[in-house]
Amino acid sequence: MRVLVEYTREERVKYISHLDLMRTMQRAVRRAGIPIAYSQGFNPHPVMAFASALPVGVTSEKEYMDIVLEQPMSLPVLKEQLNHALPKGIAVREAVVIEDKTPSMMSLIKRADYKVTAAGVDWNQVIEAYTGASEILVEKKSKKGVTTINLKDAVYNICKDEENGEVLHLSLKVGDSSGLNPLSAVNALLKLSGAAKNEGIDLTAAVHRTGMYLIREGQWVTPLALNID
Amino acid sequence: MDKLLLDKIMGQVSKPARYMGNEYNMVEKDPDDVNIRFAFAFPDVYEVGMSHLGMKILYHLINERKDTYCERVFAPWVDMEEKMRENNISLFTLETKDPVSKFDFIGFTLQYEMSYTNILNMLDLAGIPLKAEDREEGHPFVIAGGPCAYNAEPLADFVDLVALGEGEELIGELLDLYADWKASGQSRISFLEQAARIPGIYVPRLYDVKYQEDGRILSVKPNTKAAPERITKRIVKDMDKVFYPEKIIVPFMDIVHDRIMLELFRGCTRGCRFCQAGMIYRPIRERNLDRLLELAERLVHSTGYEEMSLSSLSSSDYSQLEELVKQLMERFSHNRVALSLPSLRLDSFAKEFIQEMQKVRKTGLTFAPEAGTQRLRDVINKGVTREDLANTVTDAFRSGWNSIKLYFMIGLPTETEEDLQGIAELAKLVVDSYFQVDREIRQKGLNVTVSTSSFVPKPFTPFQWEPQDPIDLLREKQQYLKNALRSKYIEYNWHDPEVSFLEAVFARGDRRLGNVLLSAWRKGARFDGWAEHFKMDAWMEAFGENNIMPEFYANRKREKDEILPWDHIDAGVSKAFLWKEWQKALKGQTTQDCRVNCTGCGVSRLGEGLC
Repeated sequence: MRVLVEYTREERVKYISHLDLMRTMQRAVRRAGIPIAYSQGFNPHPVMAFASALPVGVTSEKEYMDIVLEQPMSLPVLKEQLNHALPKGIAVREAVVIEDKTPSMMSLIKRADYKVTAAGVDWNQVIEAYTGASEILVEKKSKKGVTTINLKDAVYNICKDEENGEVLHLSLKVGDSSGLNPLSAVNALLKLSGAAKNEGIDLTAAVHRTGMYLIREGQWVTPLALNID
Repeated sequence: MDKLLLDKIMGQVSKPARYMGNEYNMVEKDPDDVNIRFAFAFPDVYEVGMSHLGMKILYHLINERKDTYCERVFAPWVDMEEKMRENNISLFTLETKDPVSKFDFIGFTLQYEMSYTNILNMLDLAGIPLKAEDREEGHPFVIAGGPCAYNAEPLADFVDLVALGEGEELIGELLDLYADWKASGQSRISFLEQAARIPGIYVPRLYDVKYQEDGRILSVKPNTKAAPERITKRIVKDMDKVFYPEKIIVPFMDIVHDRIMLELFRGCTRGCRFCQAGMIYRPIRERNLDRLLELAERLVHSTGYEEMSLSSLSSSDYSQLEELVKQLMERFSHNRVALSLPSLRLDSFAKEFIQEMQKVRKTGLTFAPEAGTQRLRDVINKGVTREDLANTVTDAFRSGWNSIKLYFMIGLPTETEEDLQGIAELAKLVVDSYFQVDREIRQKGLNVTVSTSSFVPKPFTPFQWEPQDPIDLLREKQQYLKNALRSKYIEYNWHDPEVSFLEAVFARGDRRLGNVLLSAWRKGARFDGWAEHFKMDAWMEAFGENNIMPEFYANRKREKDEILPWDHIDAGVSKAFLWKEWQKALKGQTTQDCRVNCTGCGVSRLGEGLC
């Protein structure tokens, strides 16, 4: 039985790395007594996989992990036990059963949306500068080295919040060679308006992931749409 | 704490989770609901401090008290320190992020000498006067405990109180006293004087040290009737009744020892003559099997850890080890909990255990013969033979291990070239044992790691009177071994002799070293135990500025009648016993395990029926 779990990563635990999160989930699953399947081989590992990694310092209300169970389990019970075993600041919101043969979330998810909050930044000016530029080059560091990405290729949508002037909504590509880490994207935008002075990542802008999406029958849907129940 | 400011700097430092807290099983209390706030301070980074068993015990124990909130603080890594100083951020605890300066106590654990500058740095970052005598009403009391507290003299200027021995009972008595004192509105010094009456509490300021012209100590005497002549360490008598945490914090980050530590017993009966732990943690006191199984069960469920280590000075000496390992395996192998025995002794490590351990997961095998020849092993009273090693590694190779670590010490008293040659021969013996195992049975890819540390004479050991080898000689010995251990199967690691030299200075130092610590810290010394931050030049300048010859402490032989800086501390084991052991060492005579027959070390004075 393969289960897709939607969970949050809140303010109080936002500085953990992706590796820390994986370790935390593994231990929470053990504490919760969930009958997770283990991989074969010399050093067996619990079968669990994660969607796009959340950078250190970013919060999220919708993260995804999928796990394979050795024996079936009621989803409300799974949710309750897992929540009980998780540190505060990580909470399971939904759990759905998905097809055993579903491709990895990593490969399915194509878009992630963010809410960026920063006091004292004129987002109108940022958006104007962004729209006016034909090319905004951003360095992207990966295992293979440094590449240069055009921010305009990495953004699906950018707009200011209608009610709160401090908030910008940003929709980014995921799982594509032109995809960008949200912190690099936000920093590039802030630099564009002269709001960010240094090269480093400036976390005085709070970056919050609001959702991740994949395409099904031509529509953007959340991974929960993979539910087969 | 300004959250926005903290967020800003957290984005600019490495591993910000070090300062985040909020781990599973962290204790949360409302500070307004408690009377006493205790900051448990570990003078090293989070990953190191969180690996320490004593901290886990005391953190959860203190938090059992309704009137006290114990929080944690670690040494900020150098990048964090820089940002904190840049932004005027005061040292804060992980739990509430409140500044340490407003706590009632800061408790430092002294695990190794090379963390002392971090203590000064943390006090400075907290905005607390470094010298105890400069602290006033409203400042926290700085207390230190742990193994190095047995000779805390180099830190005497900086700490208000020292806790000797095991803290489980002592800390409660101290906090009770503090609550009364706080309500009474009496002076700071009156608290210290009252605390000095608690057995095991040492208040350095209540003692005067006089020196002779040649630099040796003339006398150490209390300067008030409130302080006892000698301070005796505390021990817990019943290991089954004493508190042991059933929940421990599970860090998000990878830490050095990221596993459940099951403490089987305290103390060690072997009597290795170089080993301070083997002397100061006496007498041996075991937990019973049922209690251990109960604790293991609860900890596995409350943490979700996938690994458990049996932690004691010499775990394989546990009287019911076979039964314990068997039962732990039975109960937890289906939960996929791997067992590891970190401090193995060759002689009691039987073949069955190797096979038991293998059932769940293979962990590395380490052995510590400590010296290369039987003669020198007799001098240090390490009862391990060449045959023990050969048999054990052969069993290990037959069971599929291919990686063995060997630990030795160089610079031990009476060491000669032959003893160094012996190290190389034992390493070759391990290699030969591997090739004697059938090719079909053994695992491919042999890897033998030989590590040598340099002997550091420690207080409360039979070698406490002995000089350490000078740095140049230690280097020569390392070079000798580099040549002697040339083999594609053997890797040789060694410790920086300059660091060992400083350890030797501070391990047996006195109060005059306080100013050296201060000077070295001002010159930027911190994280001295981390090779990338160790600054020998700063240290040598610091000695020079204070007219202190470090060799006086590290490389000088003491006579029998010399007053040692720690002579007013009673660690249980008597000075007469240590001297007797030293004389036996010189004759190459061994002393038996004291469980076979009492060796008269003196620790039985601490209570009836202890051992």
